[in-house]
Amino acid sequence: MSIEISVLRGRIENAAEAVGPLWPLRTFNSANPLSGFESLPFHEAVQRAGHLFRGRGYPAPDVFRRAWERGDIDPEILQRQLRDAGHDLDPAAALDALPRHDSSPAEAEDERLNRIMSKWLAAFFDHGQAAWPMPNRSDGFFASWRILAPFDRGIPGIRQTSDLPSTKLDAFIETLDGVPEEEWETIFTHHLAALPGWVGLIRWQGRGTAGEWEKAKPITLGGYLAVRLTVARLLGEPLLPKDAPANGEANPDTQTLPAVVLAAWEETYRHRLIDDLTEPPSRPSVDGTDTRPDAQLVFCIDVRSEILRRHLEGLGPYETHGYAGFFGIPMEHESYAPGAGVGERVKACPPIVDPRHRIAERVAPGCEHEAEAYNDWAGIEGTRRTLLKTLKKDVAAAFGFVEGSGGFYGIAMALRTLLPHRVFDGLKSLREHLPGPSSFTEVTVDRPDTPDPDDALPLGLSPEVKIVYAEAAFRLMGWTDEFAPIVVFTGHGSQTPNNPFKSSLDCGACAGNPGGPNARVLAAICNEPAVRDALRSRGIHIPEDTVFLAGQHNTTTDEVTLFVDDEDPPVDPGALERLRDDLAAARNGATAERVSSMDDRMWADATRETERRAADWSETRPEWGLAGNAAFIVGPRRLTRNLDLRGRSFLHSYDWRVDDSGTALETILTGPLVVGEWINMQYYFSTVDNAVYGSGSKVTHNVSGKVGVVQGNGGDLMTGLPLQSLYMDDEVPFHDPLRLFAVLHAPVERVEMILNRQDTLKRLFDHGWVALAIMDPEENDRVMRYQPGGSWAPMSVDEQPAAAVLPDA
Amino acid sequence: MWTGFGLSLVLAFVLQGAEWTVEPFILVDGLTQVMAVVVTFVSGIVHSFSRRYMAGARRLRGFYVQLFALTLVVLFLTATEHVFVFLVLWMVMGLLLARLIGHVRGWPEAQAAARYARGTFLAGSGALAVSMFLLVQNTGAVRVSQIVAGIESVPRWVLAVSIVLIVVAAMLQSALVPFHRWLLSSMTAPTPVSAFMHAGIVNAGGVLLARFAGVVFETHAAILLVFFVGAVTALAGQAWALVQANVKRQLGCSTTAQMGFMVMQFGLGFGAAGIAHLILHGFYKAYLFLNSGSVVETVAPPSMRPEPTGWVSTLASLATAVAGGAVFAWITGKSVLALDGGSLLVFFVVLAVLHATRTLLRRSGLPAATRAWVLPVVLLPALAMYGAVYNAVAWLLADLGALAFPSALTPLHWVIAAIFAIVYVGIDRGWHHSSTRLYVLLMNTSRPVSSTLLTRRDRYHVH
Repeated sequence: MSIEISVLRGRIENAAEAVGPLWPLRTFNSANPLSGFESLPFHEAVQRAGHLFRGRGYPAPDVFRRAWERGDIDPEILQRQLRDAGHDLDPAAALDALPRHDSSPAEAEDERLNRIMSKWLAAFFDHGQAAWPMPNRSDGFFASWRILAPFDRGIPGIRQTSDLPSTKLDAFIETLDGVPEEEWETIFTHHLAALPGWVGLIRWQGRGTAGEWEKAKPITLGGYLAVRLTVARLLGEPLLPKDAPANGEANPDTQTLPAVVLAAWEETYRHRLIDDLTEPPSRPSVDGTDTRPDAQLVFCIDVRSEILRRHLEGLGPYETHGYAGFFGIPMEHESYAPGAGVGERVKACPPIVDPRHRIAERVAPGCEHEAEAYNDWAGIEGTRRTLLKTLKKDVAAAFGFVEGSGGFYGIAMALRTLLPHRVFDGLKSLREHLPGPSSFTEVTVDRPDTPDPDDALPLGLSPEVKIVYAEAAFRLMGWTDEFAPIVVFTGHGSQTPNNPFKSSLDCGACAGNPGGPNARVLAAICNEPAVRDALRSRGIHIPEDTVFLAGQHNTTTDEVTLFVDDEDPPVDPGALERLRDDLAAARNGATAERVSSMDDRMWADATRETERRAADWSETRPEWGLAGNAAFIVGPRRLTRNLDLRGRSFLHSYDWRVDDSGTALETILTGPLVVGEWINMQYYFSTVDNAVYGSGSKVTHNVSGKVGVVQGNGGDLMTGLPLQSLYMDDEVPFHDPLRLFAVLHAPVERVEMILNRQDTLKRLFDHGWVALAIMDPEENDRVMRYQPGGSWAPMSVDEQPAAAVLPDA
Repeated sequence: MWTGFGLSLVLAFVLQGAEWTVEPFILVDGLTQVMAVVVTFVSGIVHSFSRRYMAGARRLRGFYVQLFALTLVVLFLTATEHVFVFLVLWMVMGLLLARLIGHVRGWPEAQAAARYARGTFLAGSGALAVSMFLLVQNTGAVRVSQIVAGIESVPRWVLAVSIVLIVVAAMLQSALVPFHRWLLSSMTAPTPVSAFMHAGIVNAGGVLLARFAGVVFETHAAILLVFFVGAVTALAGQAWALVQANVKRQLGCSTTAQMGFMVMQFGLGFGAAGIAHLILHGFYKAYLFLNSGSVVETVAPPSMRPEPTGWVSTLASLATAVAGGAVFAWITGKSVLALDGGSLLVFFVVLAVLHATRTLLRRSGLPAATRAWVLPVVLLPALAMYGAVYNAVAWLLADLGALAFPSALTPLHWVIAAIFAIVYVGIDRGWHHSSTRLYVLLMNTSRPVSSTLLTRRDRYHVH
């Protein structure tokens, strides 16, 4: 038998669509676990994925019931949804009739196969945990396994390497002998979906962003399948187990019921949001037209920004904007490294964008002294870490080391457990005494005179590109007229120790990294006179006295740090002082609001409580991250100003008046909105089935290979978010699993034009992954709802309900 | 729990190693006082840590009740020499621990781990029960001190069987080779439980040996057996840790190794050193478990080999190491020249200092001046801290004479020392990388029980 490689590769690629890529923990990226099913209608997708992964596709009955009891599901809306879907039930009866999930999982037939595969995959995907990693990894997964396999007692019939196929292709030829080609895809899908965690990581590596590790240990889906099918053959396991339960036999009524109740819950939320948007309690009369604001701050569209923005705006003449937290700079960030070292390079732009520039942190002129102090400290700190690591692992030295260091560990353990506040204070004062790199470095926005030819990514930005990025920022935000004396670009990051999922709390638009460096780049660009001149010729007039600053919003403590040299501030010190005071006051308001959502207790000092959470190594819920997200509002801030959106909305600034061509809106819809959908779907599925699509409780997490977590003793890698990021306790979710609702403040023709151009985007709306409504400014902000298929209907409780996002059952 | 810690501190100060008894069940001696301070400290940390860590977990009350009960059982276990009381507490301890390993009731893999651990602990209790039965039967006494007094009347073979069974019970509890599997399969336990388990419960094997030292260390063969088992475990555990990709199992392998070393110290006649090791290791391991969420970082792929160091720096490290060993020997009152078991312990300290020095010298990024002062600054407090703990323990345990005995070095000791030295050099030079067979062997012998692996995520359940 011979196999055409291209055919085989095609079949594997098709089969792999079912398993979404999984990013390593260090650069956690939110992704829809069902991304491979997005071309299908939502209901069908969750049915298929549920069949493949045995996961639940809709919230459990008690989640619905709690929402019902809280009044989050409007009985009238539910009644209407039920009627439209052809159910002859009243709302209460419908809630009672919700089907329970069968919670008795059957034994899988290929358990043994899964164990062998996960053992070697865990060893292969070890990014620096084991001192002695899997041998010969650089030859690829199949080749290195082939050398090991003869010594592995688990696999019968192999005494030497030559008993195994010598290439991946041979492995496929041997195992697929006599199997008709039409069945390959089904077989591959089964074996890939058997370990979605590890296979997801292989798919991540296949995206080509794995960097050095990709060269150090190449692995492909073909390599995985070659090993797996070979082991299956040797174990005498069937290529396609028969234990897959037949689907589609259940009563279609009960199957669509959860979808109906979910739709009613979503509609309730959406109607209330639209009501707020169309009848705000007090639309500000100023509208920012008569007086120039003291400062304008640009925050990430992240739902967490809304709380702080609202509190800050209430304190004085401030304006805020929302923009994707990577500030439109597709860059790779190289952090500062002391001496001749090379800093860690991380991608700092969204998963759908490839980095095009490398931005490094270099010591700023005049700051050599501070840099030296930092270098000395970093040298000692680095030595300490190396010493601990090597002593811990050494076969003979470990014993003496434990005796010498045990006492210190005891003291440290007591301090960290009993005095977490003091730990926060200690870290803070350390940072005050010994400022970190952000205080003495500048970002390399300029191209060096002699470019480094070895590097794939060029350092810095060319003058033309700078103008493009600056203009894009203001165009997308629809912000061309008024600039305050101080404009701050505020990235965000979290602060949480001992948390494998820290990256999931950082900026999603920066590939799970803090957004401060990106903010610094855009601020530096906008301060360049050449850039301002160019912008002026394009209709964006930035006054001479406007200074752009960069800052970072700590989403755990709501503190905003401004990257300003205090000895020589580029702006009026008094104004800077006022801004800082108001940021501190806004912080107190924001933390009070957030802490009350995390804990029932009344906190006299909410800010202090957030500081504890930011430093406490035993804290599993440092902050709620993006939990609660349910809406994506694209429009000017005046639409939402003075509204309490409870930290549930992505807010992207946009002004339809300065975007006649619609390109800005198109960019927002195909960029930030799509990322918002990934985030929303990750939160949705991780909440709905925390075992299959989430990563379970942190309490029993075990970090594997520094790249992922397994539960308990190991097995498949867990994907998605942990329970503690989504649930109040083991049973009650904090996050309401609702699909995203996009509200655009734009004329209907413009949106239609974009949808007609962007098929993939349109499909998300047509298939019910995201709901869409517009407030048409040309029609007095009339709200129109997009209907799957392409039509528009007015959105009002009295007029007509949105058609349920169901297939024709 | 913190009250308990305060009380035990007070107790230790008041009694200062003296005995206090409630006939016939309770005996508070130096061992009790040492263990009480340590167990209440670690348990206090774990309780406090869990307040945030376990927040929102279901059956939280049950969790705390079991954790608290387990602490009490361990405390009483160290405070009795009545063999029946000891036996009952031993068994209850195992059952409670197994329950905590399977704290997540709805998760089949956690239950499988609990079952396996329970089986292991019951086997240990069984071995202990038979041994106690034989000893009580032959001496007519029910207290350890009386048994020791009447040990002469026990037939040789009975004594031999009893000793072997006690050693086996200790091995099962402390997860020594070949009984390490329950420990490496126990990561289904919530992290705080793991911390307490690795810092407190596994030590019970050492406590058992200490309590029955008068019986176990009666015969030369038994001493050698304990030494041998400990040495093999220490070596195997560290070797297993080399190949582990997940953090908790790596820590588990390290615990096994450290328990081996602790038992080895017993076998060398340095019971106080063994107890000191068990305490310090407890702090160390509890910290690492509680901190196990911190290991996510970016590490560059390993380069091929560390460059070999020159002769000068090797000699310099060697000199520093010997000096370190001398300071250690002086602080702990061991003789280097006598060439007894103590010299072997000094040998391990020398290896540790040697390794630290060489690592330091290899770091070219550090200025030479810094390198010169860093070492003493790090080394001296570490040695002083160890010395303080060791001397405190030795002082409190002064009454337990059976724990300290001189042991001449036999060929077995020399062989073990040589193996450690060879392994140290071998790993330093990277010899092991050439043996794929060894790699697979280490991987497979350190696997958890297969029914405890979560290969299908829909089987996972959070409570």
